[in-house]
Amino acid sequence: MITAEGLVKRYGAKTAVNDISFTVRPGQVTGFLGPNGAGKSTTMRMVVGLDRPSAGSVVVNGKPYAAHRAPLHEVGALLDAKAVHTGRSAYNHLLAMAATHGIGASRVREVIELTGLESVARKRVGGFSLGMGQRLGIAAAMLGDPATLILDEPVNGLDPEGVLWVRQFVRHLASEGRTIFLSSHLMSEMALTADHLIVLGRGEIIADAPVADIIAGGTRPRVLVRSPHSSQLADLLAAPEVAVVRSDAGVLEITGVAASGIGDLAAQHGLAIHELTPLSASLEEAYMALTSDAVEYRTEAVR
Amino acid sequence: MTAITPTPAHPSQRGFAQLDQRGTLSFAGVLRSEWIKFRSLRSTTWSYLIVIAISLGMALIMSLSMASGMSGGTDAAAAPADQQLSFIVQSSVFGVYFGQLVAGVLGVLVISGEYTTGMIRSTLAAVPMRLPALAAKAVVLFVATYVVGLVATLGAYVVTSLVFAGVDVSASLTEPAVFLPLLGASLYLALVAVFALGVGTMLRSSAGGIAAVLGLILLVPTVFQMIPAEWAQDLLPYLLSIAGMNMFTSTTAEATADGFGFWLNLLIVLGWVGASIAGATVLLKRRDA
Repeated sequence: MITAEGLVKRYGAKTAVNDISFTVRPGQVTGFLGPNGAGKSTTMRMVVGLDRPSAGSVVVNGKPYAAHRAPLHEVGALLDAKAVHTGRSAYNHLLAMAATHGIGASRVREVIELTGLESVARKRVGGFSLGMGQRLGIAAAMLGDPATLILDEPVNGLDPEGVLWVRQFVRHLASEGRTIFLSSHLMSEMALTADHLIVLGRGEIIADAPVADIIAGGTRPRVLVRSPHSSQLADLLAAPEVAVVRSDAGVLEITGVAASGIGDLAAQHGLAIHELTPLSASLEEAYMALTSDAVEYRTEAVR
Repeated sequence: MTAITPTPAHPSQRGFAQLDQRGTLSFAGVLRSEWIKFRSLRSTTWSYLIVIAISLGMALIMSLSMASGMSGGTDAAAAPADQQLSFIVQSSVFGVYFGQLVAGVLGVLVISGEYTTGMIRSTLAAVPMRLPALAAKAVVLFVATYVVGLVATLGAYVVTSLVFAGVDVSASLTEPAVFLPLLGASLYLALVAVFALGVGTMLRSSAGGIAAVLGLILLVPTVFQMIPAEWAQDLLPYLLSIAGMNMFTSTTAEATADGFGFWLNLLIVLGWVGASIAGATVLLKRRDA
């Protein structure tokens, strides 16, 4: 169980996390979703005491992380796959981390086996791929057999097989009653892994709800229209609640009006329509809709 | 890298229900962790091998040149006993002038290596109180460097004694005037390493930390010597490396080159180490990792 209250993190004049409160509950996978730069990693670092909050507090199982007698047994965290000295072997890295809590070499071998690192455990971490680094990070997080697991972008750099493994792994851990807090900027991955979502944008919580609710509530239906009179049609449809996106020549994607409304309008003005297709909302789109105002580094749309 | 298959009955299932029966975070554990980290890096081994090699090599060069000077001119064996002893001590600790540079670099790397690789976040997540991690690093670094310093200076004493035996000059290791400088030189080496650890923690960068430490040991004394002002000459003996050298190049505890004596020089060196570690403590506790 992770509980954040009024958490704020400022770096100089820039506010990375702005007064967020949330609870991550045991027995389910809670996804922490948001565009790059939304403040996900900063929030996770504050949970384990690496960054000090500018205001507010966050507790794990009722206490600040640092106040626990055995922090690694309370929380296992993968915050950065590269938080390992590149000159040390994976085995020695894990052995050193384990030693702080009096965890023995047998547990080190267990987590190496668990994450499939047997063949590279004695090699220096500097030569590891990002995927191997992620597995090592997960192995380190599992050392203390923790009740709460915090994973920041754990599937980054993993091959499809690894992605599937992480998904099944965290679902299994949640089914054991553990608290799983998992961040990603990939909505599609979250849709398959998480039960509950906390969506962050520009340091603020945009949504905190079960995955199903977010899909249902986050998007408005879109309609694809193909017409030789597309620009006239677009002008006729113009209204504050209507969004029109011209994709190809003669193709419009319209949000805010139902397909029937568009068809009726076209008929009134005698405009020919070649295609009128309602598009079903996907989770990806729900996410885009939620975060469209909250993207920190926006790229110009390709026309 | 082998393929991994999801195992429903993975090892983490065991023990989950018995959280309180397992080990807890302790300083002994952190000390063990830092020792594992220290010995599992190649830079540690290399640095210590270089310290020992320099010490033996310098002792060989120094004693050969002194011994040949003697056999050509004065009758070395006829020199007063305390002068014989002083030759041997000088030759035995000569390598520390260079060894301190390596110890300083190693001290910086012990922590800056963690900052540059990101390892520090793993370290501080495991030891969220932070200061035990720094303290454990300091203890491991101090003890290991002291032991290596002893090996290096004792080895240098053996090399020196063998060379001087050829010109009938000798000094027994059981003489306090012989073994005290050797112990003092090793102590200085270990303290320089800990001083550098503090600097590395404050600067969080390998290049910056090494430049600062080597600058203080090598450059600052030279600059002070060149300043034609009395205050500069007055301050000179209070510099880390000058006080450190004076600490062990004397043959008696009471009188050293600057007249401070062993204990006062040790106190000056400890002042530098204390300031460095104090600064590191404050910044490590306060800063985000």
